[in-house]
Amino acid sequence: MASRYVAAYRQFWRLNTLTLLEYKANFFIWFAFTIVYHGIAVATIWIMMSRFPSMNGWRWQEVFFLYALYMVGHTLNNTFFFTIGEVPDHIREGRFDRFLVRPLDPLFQVLSQPGQIWPDEFAIALVFFAFAQGAVHLQWTAAGALLLVFAGLGGALIDFAVQLFVATLSFWVIRMDALRWVVMSLENDFTRYPLSIYNKAVRIMLAYVFPFAFMNYFPATTLLHKTSQAGYTVNPMLGWLTLAVGAVWFSAAYLFWRAGVNRYQGTGS
Amino acid sequence: MAYGAYLEFAKRAFSREGTYRPQVFTHIASVLLRVFLLSTLWTALYRNNGMQAGIPLHAMITYATLALLLDLIYGVNGAYVVREKIREGSIAIDLMRPISVPLYVFADTIGQTAFAALQIVPALALSLLLVHVDAPQSALHFGVFLVSVGLGFIVNFALDMMMATVTFWTMEIFGVQLMVQFMTSLLSGALVPLYFFPQGVLQRLALSSPFAAIYNAPLSIYIGKVGDDGLLPMLGFQLIWAVVFGLAAFVLWRAGERRVVIQGG
Amino acid sequence: MYRRTLMMIRADRLTKHFRTLRRKDGVLGTLTSLFSRHYELKEAVRDVSFELQAGELVGYIGPNGAGKSTTIKMLTGILVPSSGDCVVNGIVPWLDRRNNGKHIGVVFGQRTQLYWDLPLIESFALLRAIYSIPQDVYTRNLAEFSELLNLDEFIRTPVRQLSLGQRMRGDFAAAMLHNPKVVFLDEPTIGLDVVAKESIRGFIGRTNRERGTTFILTTHDLNDVEKLCERIILIDRGQKLYDGSIDAIKRRFGRNRILTAEIDGYCADCDIEMAGAKLLSQNGNRISFEFDRESVRADELIVALAKQYELKDVTVTEPALETIIRQIYISGLSPDPLLEGALP
Repeated sequence: MASRYVAAYRQFWRLNTLTLLEYKANFFIWFAFTIVYHGIAVATIWIMMSRFPSMNGWRWQEVFFLYALYMVGHTLNNTFFFTIGEVPDHIREGRFDRFLVRPLDPLFQVLSQPGQIWPDEFAIALVFFAFAQGAVHLQWTAAGALLLVFAGLGGALIDFAVQLFVATLSFWVIRMDALRWVVMSLENDFTRYPLSIYNKAVRIMLAYVFPFAFMNYFPATTLLHKTSQAGYTVNPMLGWLTLAVGAVWFSAAYLFWRAGVNRYQGTGS
Repeated sequence: MAYGAYLEFAKRAFSREGTYRPQVFTHIASVLLRVFLLSTLWTALYRNNGMQAGIPLHAMITYATLALLLDLIYGVNGAYVVREKIREGSIAIDLMRPISVPLYVFADTIGQTAFAALQIVPALALSLLLVHVDAPQSALHFGVFLVSVGLGFIVNFALDMMMATVTFWTMEIFGVQLMVQFMTSLLSGALVPLYFFPQGVLQRLALSSPFAAIYNAPLSIYIGKVGDDGLLPMLGFQLIWAVVFGLAAFVLWRAGERRVVIQGG
Repeated sequence: MYRRTLMMIRADRLTKHFRTLRRKDGVLGTLTSLFSRHYELKEAVRDVSFELQAGELVGYIGPNGAGKSTTIKMLTGILVPSSGDCVVNGIVPWLDRRNNGKHIGVVFGQRTQLYWDLPLIESFALLRAIYSIPQDVYTRNLAEFSELLNLDEFIRTPVRQLSLGQRMRGDFAAAMLHNPKVVFLDEPTIGLDVVAKESIRGFIGRTNRERGTTFILTTHDLNDVEKLCERIILIDRGQKLYDGSIDAIKRRFGRNRILTAEIDGYCADCDIEMAGAKLLSQNGNRISFEFDRESVRADELIVALAKQYELKDVTVTEPALETIIRQIYISGLSPDPLLEGALP
């Protein structure tokens, strides 16, 4: 049974590579786009903070570090789980039926739909991160390295869990593109700045409801020793919890997904 | 061809837009989310660093909020359909009709924009619950602001249209178009007022680039960053770029059209 | 010859309800539907029962929205019925969907399972992994399907460049690579040209005969059914109207025949006085009569005609299945009288 999944997943990556080779020019354009996209985000932070040098005690290099750390988890998710965003299209265009008549888990099949998927964005994220850790003169220790691994893997899992949750809503509401976009902007925009600038409600939301703060803010406060800034104190142990939070959130999202599939089979919406 | 037909295209685009309810609501919701985020962000920055570039915090929040509302209408990108038509080859059919395709797309975009503009009313009303937005300084200022938005709309549409028209030559241009779109958002002052760019060449370049005509011009007028003497020159600046971009878009379109006629798509 | 029959599919009073959204038109409708929506309950399938033996090739037919696809979705495990039961190859599909998936094949005519950007053979390679198809079975099936469907011409071409006919042939091979016991065909020939239809029909018929694969064929194209199936199940508005052989339905409902005669010379108002026969059309010197086979015998009609006119040529045609079925839909007969004695 498991071998069926392993074999299918290996084929999936082989077909990704073939698709990529089929569209080489397109790949390089998107590669350049990814660099420009993140470059502009960082440039915006730089322009803003060249006028306003302090953001609740964070310098622009530190805000850049926050951005790069988020990017690592987020692009890791994009590399392995990107196709979860296609669920609304699969449902709307009737392709989801196909996943239900094959002898594999439907979620697995959604996540292994061949396309132009490649770890290029993740590679770019690592380059950004290399620059960012240089900019903040990060002190490398074994513990710090382990925390970074937790932050990357756990960050990817949190990101995926939220996307899975949103994708699952499309079993109830057909047009989900816009809502998905809202959560994405919540994730993209709110994670760019230190949690301490927000009011309590937002801090609770980003820590406990959609736990994006575990993707970058909590690990960064621990690593950069910025656990107490502008009157807002963070327990340095929180930075270690990213992987655990990701696991819990993923489990919850998966149960919700199962309910969504059941609903689909009940109504065939 | 009577202009009535173009009015009809615009009407049709308007009612087509209303079909998807969740999109309307979530559009507004996402604007509110960003209004909240940006006001929080600018408040923190001002609290830590004081006022910069002669723009007080309340004016900055007004600027950021209006920028998000303007994005509702500038972000329509009605020219996108041209890209799809060229890719699918159905553009050939449109070229055979007794209408001007760029004018058709313009009318369609106006229809879509009219629907998008309707969303501004509730979005603004709800934003006012979250943040304080300065009232216009005078009826005259507000009138000039609206004219300025109109000119910005034309520059923005011409830019979108040019990007879409490039599809006549190369299909694999979407990524490049998105890159231009993102760079435009930074250079137009949609994300950060251009006055906050580092002083010197960088800021002067940003302020005189055509992209400044899209967001920076109307928003600067609204928050009073432009003095009474500066209003007409600012509109003149926008008008020049609207004409230049409009002509450029038209010339590019004619070249692309000729290409289709000669090579059969 | 003794042939053991095996039950492959049993549907028992399958029923499915849906809640659907009613939309409004126009600018005003658009604006009001932003705030209020109306739902209505629809009974897509009601109390449908039937049994299929292994190796049968059955046409499952009905007009648009009759409930064909909904039935197929319940049999394949995609939908859970509101009530009723079904068993496919000993498995209740929605209870054990993944095991059911191993033994069934599905072709959705309008939705390909092939990967758009990749050569056909690569989709097969992925399916091989998904179904854990042993190497020898895969090689043998691929060779056989390539020959039957002429896949070799385009097996290394990206699917997006294939014609619809080529793509469908690829989809058929894809659905059958893992030797499924039952294959569900949902509008498999829609939009295809005559040559491609023939090729697909040949493939279905041959795999049914030679491999004993059970097929359920859902289609608008009754030519498919007439050429391939002995048995049809007719469904309309969610209910079964008829289940039996094509011959039987023709005998029972296709009582009318058409006689076309070519007359020597010219006549302005050709007609004939005979109960049970009526003039259908006149085109120059060709005249057509429709008559009821039960009350009028063809030879009587011809004799009567020959008395009045000089006949050059006479043909009698029986109605196509399509005509009969259209009549059944239009006349809106309640299912009961049709079902009585219709089962062979």
